[in-house]
Amino acid sequence: MQPSTVTNLATRLPSSRRPRAARTGAARRPRAARTGAARHTGTAYLFLAPFLALFTVFVVAPSIFGLWISVTDWSPFKDTQNFIGLQNYIDLFTPGSITFGDFWQSMGATGIFTVLSVPCLLIIPLFIAILLNNNIRGGTAFRAIFFAPYVLGVAVIGVIWKYLLDTQSGMLNHILGMLGLPSDIPWTVDVPWAWVSLVIVTVWWTLGFNAVILLAGLKAINPDLYEAASLDGAGMIRKFWSVTLPGLRPVMLFVSTTTILESANMFGQSYILTKGGPANSTRTAIMYISDQGLSQNNMAPAAAMSYILFAFLAVISVINFRLQREKTE
Amino acid sequence: MKKGIARRAVAATLALGVGIALAGCSGGGAGAGGNAVPGEDYTGPKVSITFWNGWTGGAAPVLVPKLVEKFNSEHDNIEVKNVPQEWGDISKKMPLAVKAGKGPDVAVAHGDDVATYAAQGLLLPADDIVDALGYSADDFPEGLMDAGAYKGAQYGIPWSVTPMGLYVNNDVLKSAGIDPATVPTDKDGYMKALEALKAAGISGEWVDGYVFTGTFEFESLLWQFGGDLYNDDVTEATFNSDAGVQALTHMVDLIDKGYSPPNVAQDGNIKGLLAGQTAYNWNGVWQTTNESFNEIDWTVAPVPQIGTEQAVWSSSTHWMFMNNKGQDKNKTAAAATFVKWMNENSAGWAETGELPAANDVRNDPTLVETYPNLKPFIDSLPYAHYETSAPGITAANALITTALNEAVTGKKEPKEALDDAAKQANEILKQNAAKYGD
Repeated sequence: MQPSTVTNLATRLPSSRRPRAARTGAARRPRAARTGAARHTGTAYLFLAPFLALFTVFVVAPSIFGLWISVTDWSPFKDTQNFIGLQNYIDLFTPGSITFGDFWQSMGATGIFTVLSVPCLLIIPLFIAILLNNNIRGGTAFRAIFFAPYVLGVAVIGVIWKYLLDTQSGMLNHILGMLGLPSDIPWTVDVPWAWVSLVIVTVWWTLGFNAVILLAGLKAINPDLYEAASLDGAGMIRKFWSVTLPGLRPVMLFVSTTTILESANMFGQSYILTKGGPANSTRTAIMYISDQGLSQNNMAPAAAMSYILFAFLAVISVINFRLQREKTE
Repeated sequence: MKKGIARRAVAATLALGVGIALAGCSGGGAGAGGNAVPGEDYTGPKVSITFWNGWTGGAAPVLVPKLVEKFNSEHDNIEVKNVPQEWGDISKKMPLAVKAGKGPDVAVAHGDDVATYAAQGLLLPADDIVDALGYSADDFPEGLMDAGAYKGAQYGIPWSVTPMGLYVNNDVLKSAGIDPATVPTDKDGYMKALEALKAAGISGEWVDGYVFTGTFEFESLLWQFGGDLYNDDVTEATFNSDAGVQALTHMVDLIDKGYSPPNVAQDGNIKGLLAGQTAYNWNGVWQTTNESFNEIDWTVAPVPQIGTEQAVWSSSTHWMFMNNKGQDKNKTAAAATFVKWMNENSAGWAETGELPAANDVRNDPTLVETYPNLKPFIDSLPYAHYETSAPGITAANALITTALNEAVTGKKEPKEALDDAAKQANEILKQNAAKYGD
């Protein structure tokens, strides 16, 4: 969750400051000399410095080091590490290699989870945000209730849900049984139920975060626009499509990007709820990479896997940005 | 004699590298800073040492700080810092932490991790402190010292053993008209009881496909059918032998024939036992400290003999001295003093639901008097099998659980699942040989 919070601040600050920055920029540009611009940039970097320092030490430097590891036969208990070129990457694309099958299965599992969870994590929080935006009685309380699970750690929610979803003694199956429905659904033990559980748990856990961001976006939409739309005879649904959604686009871009990245980095839910089972079908890429790199000390192949996952996510993020920006323009 | 050894150790340490050569860990590249663990009590200036352990559940989180506090109060020149964390986290962090000189001075690990650490050069040979404690292989259950040895040197000092047993919910048995006084000890008796339970509409044993505790049950059965997990020099997986197939088939049959429900989640069976939904559960000795058992009428017995011989799975924990980059000899000496003290004060360890490894401590009659539930576990130790000790073995072991999971969820037939897992395990063993050196 940490990186997302940082990205959140980083992305949100510029966007909320944008109008003022644009205004001052426009006002100053005619009379600002080049030295002024340089001083301006200097000040900006000064303000960025605290974040940049952390970012460099904890993100950029390890990334570069990881890239180096991925082209060596790096091992934590050898004194010298040998450069082996792209061998680690080639192995990952060679059917029959020791990691090929497991790695791509885990990438597939990550893909399935992302495709299943992201739509739920965008639509349901949007719906909740719209409901909360209606100045209903106790709105603040509801907002807190929806947000509450998000403050819990994955270990906590994992253990809670493990109890609820137990095949034989779980509360969920018990309730289903009382309603005359099948009461032996293997929620965490077999697919497809394991996927259903993982998505439900993740949505319950993180929807509050997206809902709060979207709610803030909704509140930022100028009420005059709704009034004007009403005067033009637009109904509820028309207003949603023509005012709400376009107004939310910058926020939606942020929410969808972070949600995709977070879903693709899913680890704890599978690790605790399904143990990656049945067999290894819900073992996500991060789970496999962490197992290879940290438990089995195969750091070099694990680093290569991370970069492949990174490449996938980078492409998806760029596409996402393109799509949503074009819509805005 | 003891002093002579200690002096020799100091000399060896001073004669840079000799100690390392003796320990034979050149393959793992133990690093030039390595020194042996001394056997004498530490008398130098005050040091603070860090102690990593995975005792986060049961009675241990209360007991360990008490013991550490007692030790600290008795030793003016040593301060032990107790750092409990999850076992899994320890094995993930340890290599990098030790290489960076940030690891603990002393730690406890499971038997299947010691060789992995030793091969990586993370550990200091502890032969001298073993001598100072007066320990020999005979002082522990058979095979336990070996679990802490690697290439002829002793790296782990046995501390506790944790075998499996058969937990029984007596109320459930009574409700099915079975006399709980006699616990089945063989296949006939066990299957008869399961049949009677089934007739009363109760699934007698819930089979799960997870490490806790399906894998432990499978391994127990594998040994009972005369098989073994790996060949002697751990270069080949043998858990897909006939014995393995018989063991896994027995477990899958329990599900297929209705003695176990399908799709039991991890820990579902122990929860079921405690909730009075099932009668038998194969579980570790650590469950004896589970307070939920106070709510039910229960007994625990050695696991029944399903196969052709008696056997049961057991894990073990061992003390290790870490070869941190720039390891301070004073700290290692202080750590050795701490370990010796803990071993001398290990009688109370049974409170944590682990059996003290030292025979004389464990076989002291007062131990069973104080903790009667431990008796069946102690009785089963003569035929207990410990986890395979080889560098990187846990990666290969993980495939056993995959096979088990595939078989109990009906994804593959037992033989097919085991063959596939063995094939992949062999690849990992080959990779381990390359990674850790022969």
